[in-house]
Amino acid sequence: MRQLSERALDAASAAGASYADCRVINRTVQRITVKNGVVASVELSEDEGIGIRVIAGGAWGFAGVDDLGTAAVEEAARHAVRIARASARVNRTPVRLAPAPALVGEFRTPVVRDPFGVSLDDKVNLLMRTDEAMSALPQIRVRECSLEFVREIRHFANSEGSVLDQTIIESGGGLDATATSDDEVQTRSFPNSFGRHQICSGWEGVEAFDLPGNAGRIAEEAVALLTAAPCPEGRMTVILDATQAALQVHESCGHPTELDRVLGHEAAYAGTSFLTPDLLGTFRYGSEQVTMTADSTRAPGLGTFGWDDEGVAAQRSVLIDQGIFTGYLSSRETAAAIGQLSNGCMRADGWSRLPIIRMTNINLEPGTSSLEEMIATTEHGVYLETNRSWSIDDRRLNFQFGTQNGWEIVDGRRTRLVRNPIYSGQTPEFWGSCDAVAGPAEWRMFGVVNCGKGQPSQLMHVGHGAAPCRFRNVRVEPAR
Amino acid sequence: MNGDELLALGDHALTALAHGEAEVIIADSRSELTRFAGNEIHQSVAERSRHIRVRLIDGGRIGVGEVRGHGDGAVALAFAAAEESRRVTTESDVSPLPSAAQGGADEPVAFAAATDAATPRDRADLVSVITDAAARNDVNAYGALSTTTTTTAIVTSSGLRRSATSTQASLVAVARGADGGGYASRHSADIAALDVPGLASEVVDTCRRNQGATPVDPGDYEVILSPYAVTDLLEHLAWGGFSALAVQEHRSFMRMGEHLMSDAVTIRDDARAAEIFPFPFDDEGVSTRPVTLIDHGVCAAVVYDTPTALHDGVTSTGHSLPQPNTWGPLPRHLAMDAGVTPSGEMVASVSRGLYITRFWYVRDVHPLRTVITGMTREGTFLIERGEITRPVKDLRFTQSIVDALADVLQVSRERRLELGEGESGVLSPWLHIGRFSFTS
Repeated sequence: MRQLSERALDAASAAGASYADCRVINRTVQRITVKNGVVASVELSEDEGIGIRVIAGGAWGFAGVDDLGTAAVEEAARHAVRIARASARVNRTPVRLAPAPALVGEFRTPVVRDPFGVSLDDKVNLLMRTDEAMSALPQIRVRECSLEFVREIRHFANSEGSVLDQTIIESGGGLDATATSDDEVQTRSFPNSFGRHQICSGWEGVEAFDLPGNAGRIAEEAVALLTAAPCPEGRMTVILDATQAALQVHESCGHPTELDRVLGHEAAYAGTSFLTPDLLGTFRYGSEQVTMTADSTRAPGLGTFGWDDEGVAAQRSVLIDQGIFTGYLSSRETAAAIGQLSNGCMRADGWSRLPIIRMTNINLEPGTSSLEEMIATTEHGVYLETNRSWSIDDRRLNFQFGTQNGWEIVDGRRTRLVRNPIYSGQTPEFWGSCDAVAGPAEWRMFGVVNCGKGQPSQLMHVGHGAAPCRFRNVRVEPAR
Repeated sequence: MNGDELLALGDHALTALAHGEAEVIIADSRSELTRFAGNEIHQSVAERSRHIRVRLIDGGRIGVGEVRGHGDGAVALAFAAAEESRRVTTESDVSPLPSAAQGGADEPVAFAAATDAATPRDRADLVSVITDAAARNDVNAYGALSTTTTTTAIVTSSGLRRSATSTQASLVAVARGADGGGYASRHSADIAALDVPGLASEVVDTCRRNQGATPVDPGDYEVILSPYAVTDLLEHLAWGGFSALAVQEHRSFMRMGEHLMSDAVTIRDDARAAEIFPFPFDDEGVSTRPVTLIDHGVCAAVVYDTPTALHDGVTSTGHSLPQPNTWGPLPRHLAMDAGVTPSGEMVASVSRGLYITRFWYVRDVHPLRTVITGMTREGTFLIERGEITRPVKDLRFTQSIVDALADVLQVSRERRLELGEGESGVLSPWLHIGRFSFTS
């Protein structure tokens, strides 16, 4: 790979690039799905190619190609320079990068058991046992469970002397049970919704999910939801389980702290942000219970690596410090725009996509409470589990989320299951009403595997550490 | 490679088949995109790749292997992966490969030589039409112009051979002033047919009218939805309800023969329509037939792939995604029939209501009831006594799509092609709807 990247960088330089970097990536994916007792699909995919990014004439250019022959790679480098020069004709402001040290190194996701060393038969067997555990209830119309394993070998080099090699391993899995009646459809998922829960780990990570051991309970909950009472309506206390808290962090802290959004780079698509630079260091984003970090060193999150995709080392940054907005997710270009250094958040969806600012592991740091204590000290409210619906405006202020189920809390006790709950609010008011976060014992790292951003669209795998947390005076209602 | 060359590559790949059946899909793609922000180009990219997908069927078991890259060894690698996959799947009632008779003419297909030949400089020049217009009006332009050429070939051991080369050019733009913005888009197979000056004029005009928005109370409003907003409604109906699998699994709102929407609403899927990126076949190689989904408000039909068609004892309509899959078939060339009202006259019939340029971040809340939520964005205006009187702050809506389409008062005679969030083309009119629910 080293020889290939040198060819690419040399070709870019010869064509007139003032800066160049390239990423040679080989990605292997195994995806196994069992549906209604049948192995619905086993898909094995291999993907390799090179992405070359250059600055020429003060503008960016990028070209990716899946042909790793010398001629194709050199032509891709020259095409990236042609693209940059075409852009430079329109632009007035040359690209400026914050300085970053030249680095050489290797990183590998620590795993106990390489998931690609586990036989496909063992993986299918795990899913068939999971499916069987959901099959007893006739109201369950659709049973679906899946596993996914990813191995990505990344080689990065740039014209400033960095040469970095990484092997990232991901393991994921999950189950969905869908119950139907004449007038209702209810789905319950485990450990998370949208297909699966995924982390940077080996096979041991998936075994720890214990899909077969939880499948029966989840199926029973889906059936119970068919006839559960509608969620109560009004302003009340809301306790989020850790998975829903993770998604709340994703949407209302992760995205608005992306500095490219703040600077308008995503204004036509993903949107902008309410967290403008004039608010940095002073704006009260949430209560004193709320501290959020970006931490790409925190295993086993999906945003855990050695270096980002422009060669900046993994690191921990505080975004919200006891409620005060203190930091952004940045790149070398965007950090320079506000007089800072990059904190290493440039990531690309494979070799064919340009690195853009993405979340790493965006975490709600643990507090000192517990779920049990939060429920016991709640007069009336709902405990909400597992995301079903999510929507937030383009500045990341006005949100509405729905969850798969809820439990009504009355006088400090979890009383009855309620269905179709949704809650809504404004980001600073919502986090400002947070009065308790559970402690380290209930803090978990979750993965989001469908985070969309950029044009052309890129799907990123990001991590979120979170624990159950409580919010006061939140608008709650049933979906009608 | 052109279509014939990819077919030959697929034919050669099938010679490696020792037993059972096989399907080989090969797609060569070249796509470039120029992105702009603050009246400058900040990202511009190019990508070239070949994607090979092999499906093997033998002894009631299916295996799938996918490869991108890996040069001349790619086909063998895909076959080996598919065979490894097939070995561990369980024996089941596997759907057979479509027969050669389910193929047909590989036309019509959306293709334009100008799009195929577009250069980074061509795209930069078109982008500058928008950024210059924005600068002249003291606003900033943001957006993206993309050009894509894809050649797809499908070859099966059952004798089916299909290929087509298609192009797509898409331009979306947002203009932002000191206190508000506007949105516009244009899409075509032919980059030369994009009305870029018209887009520039529209987006700047909407931006200038949408400055200094003030709030209105949430609640139920009469609305005029632009085609950009209507596209979101149609796309979510398709995802949740127009699939035969959704009906078979009792997840769909569709109740065949029931009159759920206004007589003014007819929704079709038509992969042959010249305006909606026509493409002749689906991901099984089956010819895609036009399907009337909602006929004057009545649930008329859903779309099928081979597995769902076998289940219901019918033939596939040619709407398959790559097999096997758990999502079911999907209509990807949606259109709502035009009405008779000129779009420019629709506002005049509203005594008090809202004009919605576009929705944003639309998500299902209750799929069976087609309840969705989302925000308005870049151009929400108050209508009073038949005229747009002022811009209003963006609102969140939570609304059943079926209920909204049951209350359609007018459908415009003009339609516009927009890309949905799933990036399929949707041909939508302006709609006048009697009641739409805004919640915050």
